[in-house]
Amino acid sequence: MKNINQDTIVAISTGTGSGAISIVRMSGENSVDIADKIFVSLSGEYPSNFASRMLTLGTINAQNFNEQAFCVVFRSPKSYTGENMVEFQCHGGVQVASGVLKACIAFGARLATNGEFSKRAFLNGKLSLAAAEGIMDMINAESDAEIRAGFSLLSGNLSKLASDAQNELTDILAEIEVSFDYPEETIEYITKASVKQRLKKLIDDIKNTLSTSETGKLIKSGLNVLIVGKPNVGKSSLLNNLLGLERAIVTDVAGTTRDIIEGTFLLDDIKINLIDTAGIQETDDKVEKIGIDKAKNLIGSADIILFLIDTSREFSVEDEKIFNQINGSKHIVVKTKSDLTNKCDRHFENEIEISNISGSGTDKLKAKILQFANISSTPAGSVIITNERHKEALKSALESLNNAYEGISAETLDLVSVDIKSAYSEIGEITGNTASEDIIDAIFKKFCLGK
Amino acid sequence: MATTNYDITDYAKNEQNKEYNFTDGEVFDAAVIGAGHAGCEAALALSRTGQKTLVINLLRDNIAFLPCNPSIGGTAKGQIVSEVDALGGEMGIQADKNTIQLRMLNMGKGPAVQSLRAQVDKTGYHRSMQATLEAEENIKIFDGECSEIVVNNGKLEAVKTVDGKTFKVKAVVITTGVYLSSRTITGEIITEGGPSGFPCASKLTKSLEKIGFEIRRFKTGTPPRVDGNTINYKKFTEQKGDKNIQTFSYLTKKANKNIRSCWLGYTSPETKKIIMENLDKAPMYSGVITGSGPRYCPSIESKFVRFSDKDRHQIFLEPETLDDNTIYIQGMSTSLPTDLQHKMVESVEGMENTKILKYAYAIEYDCINPLSLLPTLEFKKVKGIFCAGQINGTSGYEEAAGQGILAGINASLFLRQKEQIILKRNEAYIGVLVDDLTTKGTDEPYRMMTSRAEYRLILRQDNADRRLTEIGRSVGLVNDERYKKFKQKMKQLESLKKELKKTVKPTKELNEFLTKLGESEIKEPTSVENLLKRPSVDLIKLNKFLKLFKGYNKDVLNAAGIDTKYDGYLSRQMLQIEKEQKLEEKRIPQDIDYFKLEGLRLEAREKLNEIKPMTVGMASRISGVNPADITVLLMYLK
Repeated sequence: MKNINQDTIVAISTGTGSGAISIVRMSGENSVDIADKIFVSLSGEYPSNFASRMLTLGTINAQNFNEQAFCVVFRSPKSYTGENMVEFQCHGGVQVASGVLKACIAFGARLATNGEFSKRAFLNGKLSLAAAEGIMDMINAESDAEIRAGFSLLSGNLSKLASDAQNELTDILAEIEVSFDYPEETIEYITKASVKQRLKKLIDDIKNTLSTSETGKLIKSGLNVLIVGKPNVGKSSLLNNLLGLERAIVTDVAGTTRDIIEGTFLLDDIKINLIDTAGIQETDDKVEKIGIDKAKNLIGSADIILFLIDTSREFSVEDEKIFNQINGSKHIVVKTKSDLTNKCDRHFENEIEISNISGSGTDKLKAKILQFANISSTPAGSVIITNERHKEALKSALESLNNAYEGISAETLDLVSVDIKSAYSEIGEITGNTASEDIIDAIFKKFCLGK
Repeated sequence: MATTNYDITDYAKNEQNKEYNFTDGEVFDAAVIGAGHAGCEAALALSRTGQKTLVINLLRDNIAFLPCNPSIGGTAKGQIVSEVDALGGEMGIQADKNTIQLRMLNMGKGPAVQSLRAQVDKTGYHRSMQATLEAEENIKIFDGECSEIVVNNGKLEAVKTVDGKTFKVKAVVITTGVYLSSRTITGEIITEGGPSGFPCASKLTKSLEKIGFEIRRFKTGTPPRVDGNTINYKKFTEQKGDKNIQTFSYLTKKANKNIRSCWLGYTSPETKKIIMENLDKAPMYSGVITGSGPRYCPSIESKFVRFSDKDRHQIFLEPETLDDNTIYIQGMSTSLPTDLQHKMVESVEGMENTKILKYAYAIEYDCINPLSLLPTLEFKKVKGIFCAGQINGTSGYEEAAGQGILAGINASLFLRQKEQIILKRNEAYIGVLVDDLTTKGTDEPYRMMTSRAEYRLILRQDNADRRLTEIGRSVGLVNDERYKKFKQKMKQLESLKKELKKTVKPTKELNEFLTKLGESEIKEPTSVENLLKRPSVDLIKLNKFLKLFKGYNKDVLNAAGIDTKYDGYLSRQMLQIEKEQKLEEKRIPQDIDYFKLEGLRLEAREKLNEIKPMTVGMASRISGVNPADITVLLMYLK
């Protein structure tokens, strides 16, 4: 028999940066026993005698130090994970916290993997799937907007949307089902027209939510901004300028940046992934050729393309070639080296002049990127789908609802209900609720039936 | 039907009934306790597969009795009757034989929800089922009460009767219906006894408890019966039967003529007043009745209480039998005192002078918790003991018969030491029913509804034979006659489906035919298959016009038509079934200790430990087991 959650896990729950206090958290059956071995209260009591959920001051006896700290015991099932849990609140700084951590591990705990506490909370029924996923997103969040999206998932915005949709489907299904199971009652049976109208509303709601999923994707994975241009137009310099780091190798020799270099920075809470490409040019160099092919592929998948041209040189045939390749995609033309004499007489719809040396024009470029991404900022509280699983579930539900909507004029309701039921259980993937008993309950709540 | 006190000595005197001679200690393969709708199917399934079967039943008069409404079938229930038939059972044959009016419900709503319902002659039904049982070579009917099921060291040994006889058996099917320690309630009058004035079985509950069953108390009720000669039918709307529709049994050649009608009417504002003013006299509200009643069979008083904004309720007059003019008033189930029943009946327009022949009553009875059964309907704690019908917490004749035939088949397979069968949710409503009972349990008498089936497009009235005849054949219950007929039909169906690929030309006549149906004209030669995809085109009608397919009967045309028309939806359901099949097939070892399985929530552990599901699919349907628990279970099973 494989015991899945039997071991006790431990982790430093506060961030690795400096702070006034650090919290070390332990979860699992043995956590209190382990705590007994390293903590004793000022009055000489051990954690196993502590009342649940009470802060007790005492001493942590780790191998190399004694440290005053607070200890809280949570007993199963009344804890975050649903298991026995112990939390130590000790002085800030990595040293102390990691000492406590090591002590716990020495007495049998194991270092928790990323998100393991939430996973246990979910497995123990303490968190809904949607909430657990929200927390996981929060743990992995790298930007404020992403944390906000995580919060909104956690606070159940998506759950609410899904359960609202499911309630409406339950209602529609109950009304359809009652006409099948009780065909001879004196009740007003639902009409196709009304089913159609209500389906339309649901379809619109889900479509709206799905359209935010693009924003959701941007928040989670970031906006992919590709920098293209012929060799030595200042691509790497721009990258460094935006990132504020010496990430790419900048030389005067054309064709140095052979690989695609990614860097990430935050722009108004939005994660921007900058992708530098090997200077696109015809070449015989095999290594460089690979880089160029990659760049061509990336053009297709980028959210925004920054096309760089060197204003100190004339717009060349090569520039023209590259421009033709990217012209169909969302792009901004960045005229570099604006500090030098301008020799370029081509003008473009979306162009910005910058100087990587003086840094002028960078802010304009950032604003333009945001404008292009069509994100002002994320209103807190709106439903943003950041989780692929939810998105897929909503997408299949939408497809089923569309099938139902399209079929309703020609087909009988028993067939239409096949699609509505599919939508119902697909949304149930989010709410975790797929019981047909709910529909039957709704029938009897709503209608007076029976012999 | 008036209740008669059956004189058992008369019966014993009859030379024809040799079977009445029983000796103490006589040996049988199996005993069936109770000869209601479940018991009859179980006994016949056992007997017809060669098992020497003892039927213990209180008295001959209540064999296959219809104590509530005089009809068989109805939404989802009609399908069950045809399923029983396809497996080689009896209910469909007897229902067809005794039909006095036949209807196809939901006719305009598509094939998935169409169900047969027959008004049957209830005395005729009882008599012919009794005769069928008595004619069986392997069945001996004992008229009396079973007092004990003897289990020693966990092994079934015998059954005992109240008069002290012991019969040795290796299997037993318990089908006690509403007769177990039952009492009927009318107002303040409480009578120990079964339905309709029949006695009850008061000794067996204790024995069941002793062998490990959890006993529960359920409640149901029935409306008054009135004299049809004292009703003014002009105040009611006549409802006639349907012509040219299929029958329950695939063996029946032609449906009986519709010789009786039903009548629709309403209660009056006066009815509501009488009830609302006298709720204190209703046992349901005064606390006399404690058993759990079904939501779908509410008494008239609970209808008025729960839906107080409604001023009237529909009632439905159904003829009970061809013997006399007794009428059953569907919709007026009650346990109010008799004086109020008179007032209530007389308050209905057209019934001012109507005489009550038999008062309405509520009935309470003992039943078991079906969670203690395997999906084969065998008791988990003692091998060879099976339960079927209302004792499992269901309601309805059809639900009982469906379980009865399954329990009978499995008891027979058990006796023959063969692997027992489980009907799947995508194979039969019986499968849905038994799966629901043994994974979810029930807190009220369980009624089948089409909404309970996730694959209802596949569980149709017209295709029960295609779903189940092979299964019935494999267990030895489908005889050669039925099997030959089935095979012929399959052959015809196959060849017809090929013929449907034929194309028809866009003639003026055909286009006129299509226009009349509200469909658009065709401009190019089109296959019949494609024409059938149009919503209003039906193969039977189309063929009447085209005369293209000869030698096929209506059933075959109907089946081929549905298969073709709904091909898209059907294949989508099949896809879904395949998707879920993995979980359904993933078996769980029966010796798992769920309390040691870390990661499961406590509620899930308790439920899983109690029910011990056979597959992950079953586990996923247990209430209180959520998707996360299933993930944990799957991880463990890896």
